[in-house]
Amino acid sequence: MRKEWIARVIVIFLLAAAIGIPAVGWWKRSQGIVIHARMAETGGWTPENLTVAVGQPLHLRLTSDDVTHSFAIGQSDQPAVEVKPGEMTEVTLTLDHPGKYTFYCTRWCSVNHWRMRGIIEVTGQQTTPEAVEPPLYILLGLDIDGDHDAEVVPAQMPSALRGAQFQNMVAAVYRSREYYQTHSPVELWQALRSEPASQPLADQDVWDLVAWIWQSNITPQELSVGQQLYTANCSACHGETGSGNGVFADLLAQPDTENHSVRQTGQMTIRPADFTDPVHILSASPAHLQGKLLRGGMGTGMPYWGPIFTEDQTWALIAYLWSFQFEMEKLP
Amino acid sequence: MKMIRWLQRAVQFSLPSLAVLALVVIFIPSPAAAAIPTDRTFHIEARRFEYAPATLTINPGDRVTLELTATDVVHGLSIDGYNLEVTADPGQTARLTFVASRQGSFRFRCTVTCGNMHPFMIGKLEVGRNTLLWKGITLLGLALAAGMWRLRK
Repeated sequence: MRKEWIARVIVIFLLAAAIGIPAVGWWKRSQGIVIHARMAETGGWTPENLTVAVGQPLHLRLTSDDVTHSFAIGQSDQPAVEVKPGEMTEVTLTLDHPGKYTFYCTRWCSVNHWRMRGIIEVTGQQTTPEAVEPPLYILLGLDIDGDHDAEVVPAQMPSALRGAQFQNMVAAVYRSREYYQTHSPVELWQALRSEPASQPLADQDVWDLVAWIWQSNITPQELSVGQQLYTANCSACHGETGSGNGVFADLLAQPDTENHSVRQTGQMTIRPADFTDPVHILSASPAHLQGKLLRGGMGTGMPYWGPIFTEDQTWALIAYLWSFQFEMEKLP
Repeated sequence: MKMIRWLQRAVQFSLPSLAVLALVVIFIPSPAAAAIPTDRTFHIEARRFEYAPATLTINPGDRVTLELTATDVVHGLSIDGYNLEVTADPGQTARLTFVASRQGSFRFRCTVTCGNMHPFMIGKLEVGRNTLLWKGITLLGLALAAGMWRLRK
């Protein structure tokens, strides 16, 4: 009699396991949206458009079909998570404001890596319509597509440390944050050159002064944030040393061959900008660089980072770009 | 005539002498490489699915710095027999410094899944002469000789 009981318990247990285990697996799979990551050439994110109600948690199960990718949301503090082939990465997001969020890949996975983007649309009642201020380059009416070559360049790399000794000769107007953002180093140099106060200075001294003024508008924190952003997002094309020779640079500068007709709009034809070239860089103002960063394009393969970086991040990145032109070691 | 007798005697003692020879091969350290340990830097480009250069030759005791640059997707490098690993994203050169303390020939492999042929992304690190291989070949030769001798008997 007892043996029969044991047999019954065993049968019931095995039956429960046979039904329960697949059921739990099915239940887990139904919890959340599975997103497959592929290289941009073979499809990018699938699905790439998601909709969620405001305040609702969004469970995502991420996996990769080819190489290591990473998932992050633009302009948010959400840390990036790795998406690896053969593994499921689970993320739960709660987006508190209605609107469109861009999610993107943060690990370079091919030359078209930056095209790996998708949209999360958060629906809900907009409580107060936010006044969006257009970026500075639009307010100033800058033509970021135009050629800009510096008429004057320094003979040697300007040094902020050397420039610091002339700091008393600078009028306060040149030292404001606003002046920094809206003027190029060449414009500042020309303005300082025409000032009667700086007449006794040599041309190189004025350049050193420009470097000092630029440095005084940049904090060390900005430089380190900018450096991190640069290494993660820019150096694959613009190169670790900023000289436009990153590992993808040669792919971007494909010579015009017979397969010209195959080329699609927006495909890259121009080498990445060389940040160590003073002719090209010293003639650009921070607002100008920010425009290029936000909108991209310019007939090159430059991605648009507008939906990805916050405004502070763009200024930090631009601050770091100046370190390719100016010696900006810390003042003692 | 004298020659033949000498040979006969040699054959008589050959099995024990072969065994002695085998022990000598196993335990005698190979002539140490006279090279002075130096600092070496290798720049390795990793692309799908190969390393360039794929073979690195160094001397035991060298202080080796590997600079790994990935040119398409994220790649890694780990050396069998050395407990080392490094990962490189495109645009971010990764560096790895170690002292080649173990002699021999070691494979290094990609550690980050980089596509369908990822398991075949392999390179070789040669630290000095591959003594293990040569000892093995000599021992095999001795074993064959012993076998032949047994058969002839």
